[in-house]
Amino acid sequence: MMKVWTRRDVAKVGLGGVAAVAMGLRVPQIAGAQAPPLEQKDTYVIGYPQTDENNPWRIAQTNSVRSEIEARGWTVEYRNAQESTQQQLADVASLIAARVDAIFLPPREETPLAQAVLQAYQAGIPVFCLDRDVDQNIVQAGEEYVCFIGSDFYQEGARAAEWLARTTGGNAQIIELFGTTGATAAIDRSRGFVDYLAGTYTPANPESATAATPAPPASAFTGMTIIASQTGNFIRDEGRQVFETLYQANPGATAVYAHNDEMALGAIAALEAQGKVPGQDVIVVSVDGSRDALQAIIDGKLGATVECSPFFGPVACDTLVAYAAGEPVPTQIINTDRFFDASNAAEFIDSAY
Amino acid sequence: MASNLSSPAAGSTTSSGRTAIGSIGRSYGGLAALLLLIAYNAVFNAGAFLTVSSLRINLTQVAEIAIVATAMTLVIATGGIDLSVGSLMAIAGSIAPLILLSSAAPWDVPFLGGALAYVIPILVVAAFGAANGFLVASLRIQPIIATLILFISGRGIAQVIAGGRLKSFDEPGWQVIGQGRVLGIPVQAIIMVVVVVTAAWVLKRTVFGRYVLATGGNEEAARLAGVPVVRVKYAVYIVSAMLAGLAGLISIAINSASDPANVGQDMELNAIAAVAVGGTSLLGGRATIVGTFIGALIIQLTGYTLLTEGLSDATVRIVTAGAILGAVLLQRRAR
Repeated sequence: MMKVWTRRDVAKVGLGGVAAVAMGLRVPQIAGAQAPPLEQKDTYVIGYPQTDENNPWRIAQTNSVRSEIEARGWTVEYRNAQESTQQQLADVASLIAARVDAIFLPPREETPLAQAVLQAYQAGIPVFCLDRDVDQNIVQAGEEYVCFIGSDFYQEGARAAEWLARTTGGNAQIIELFGTTGATAAIDRSRGFVDYLAGTYTPANPESATAATPAPPASAFTGMTIIASQTGNFIRDEGRQVFETLYQANPGATAVYAHNDEMALGAIAALEAQGKVPGQDVIVVSVDGSRDALQAIIDGKLGATVECSPFFGPVACDTLVAYAAGEPVPTQIINTDRFFDASNAAEFIDSAY
Repeated sequence: MASNLSSPAAGSTTSSGRTAIGSIGRSYGGLAALLLLIAYNAVFNAGAFLTVSSLRINLTQVAEIAIVATAMTLVIATGGIDLSVGSLMAIAGSIAPLILLSSAAPWDVPFLGGALAYVIPILVVAAFGAANGFLVASLRIQPIIATLILFISGRGIAQVIAGGRLKSFDEPGWQVIGQGRVLGIPVQAIIMVVVVVTAAWVLKRTVFGRYVLATGGNEEAARLAGVPVVRVKYAVYIVSAMLAGLAGLISIAINSASDPANVGQDMELNAIAAVAVGGTSLLGGRATIVGTFIGALIIQLTGYTLLTEGLSDATVRIVTAGAILGAVLLQRRAR
């Protein structure tokens, strides 16, 4: 079953992957592959190669996963790649060498880490991808790895749009603060929002739809227009400066859709600096569900925020147990993200990160 | 210092006279570019541009770059460069919230906590500035390498200080440097003007200013003429660090949060660009603070113009680079 993975094989697969991406095809790496089985045990050693610890969301994710593993009496082999894809590849290799039972992998980049998933597969170690997926041209969930667990960014965008349309009665001149250009989270949060307002939104994963999934809108919202859209790189200070300038050039704006809470808080600071009342003159909606954002909702400054849950511990461990027991595991597991607005922010602020 | 006053001052009279005239000439290119930008906005973007709020926004946004670039001009005038300013902003920005949020503060005196939250971060980064000075002046390591060390490590230090995470706070009194206004003018704009005017005066009218230019012009000659080159270099790196620290505090005050991973990101490059556009020679020995201020305004106004025109971030970067190149070329022709 086990194959010795030589450097030449890795190179071949790498080239194959590149060629496949170029042609838009999937290279069938291993025909009829199945994710490596996991023995049922009382305790597991879990490899957890984290991408970085630089922001509150990441830290909350790390704490959730580590504390859940430890609470179950399992062992965690933790690594921190400190925002380096190379380091994360090395971390996965070291976890494979240490013969961990399974790996919870938040892949920093989708294509390079697909190679790491392939190596784990070759070594017979099941991988669960957290919060980001890996390149489906190289490996696929249910075949070379068990599954992807994370949020549906497209749905997050639609939920923000649904709330904004309801709150403004379908009339708004919107400034959109985009996340980092090229980031999946930013692209999908924008698409979901735009599609919902255009009346073309349909849930991306009908089989994994939850109670939170918005119903497709009956028709387009013709009174809601995105009058300006510009990147703020998910950073509060950039969100503030960009919004300040856009709002000054488009004083008719009545709403802000920010791709994360930090940029929304930046926009709120800019509004206050210009003597406007956020929540009244301009309605702000965003995504993330951070503690600062919930406080801003309680203060009446932020309208609402769609949670993008960092609390992966329980769902990841439950999925692993189910997989070991031989139960069928969906290839895409979508987190049940909450929705925070004035009605529940005070209730949930203590559980926000 | 006073004992050395006569000889270097006499020795550099001609060169500083030339510098005064030259600085006007060198500022022309930048000034022309700035006037062009203003004219463009006044014609095509009048509704949004010719307003008090646009003036206020541009002033608040340019303040951090202008403050850092002013000090950068002094460093560059000595023939050096300071790549660590962005990281120093992050360090200062990560220390202040620790003091502001400290509940175990052993003091009950009003304002003392707030005052310490200004003073301690700036003193700490001043020490880092002295470390830069030590590497450059005492160990004679090339400035670009010497300050690269803190450029790389400084952000890490800031993240360690902050426990790796963004810290938010709400201290309206303390945040006056980022959010306050005096007679409608943003406080950070006032700080910027004070910094620019003081530095311009120091460079033009004081012995220290002449020492700075003499050090950058011909270090060996300056040393032989009695200029305390080592002390001058220490001084400019310390000033650079302290003004970067001040800019860092302004940044976190506006945002009510300190994000060690992002405070002052790219600041070193923006500041160097402002200095270059302004007409200061990167070889040292010639410098114009007013030119640097104009350079900072050009960079700010270019970004503002493109953003209000609705261009994408990628386009903004490319066009800004073009504007910098254009301004530098104009400034060369004027010379």
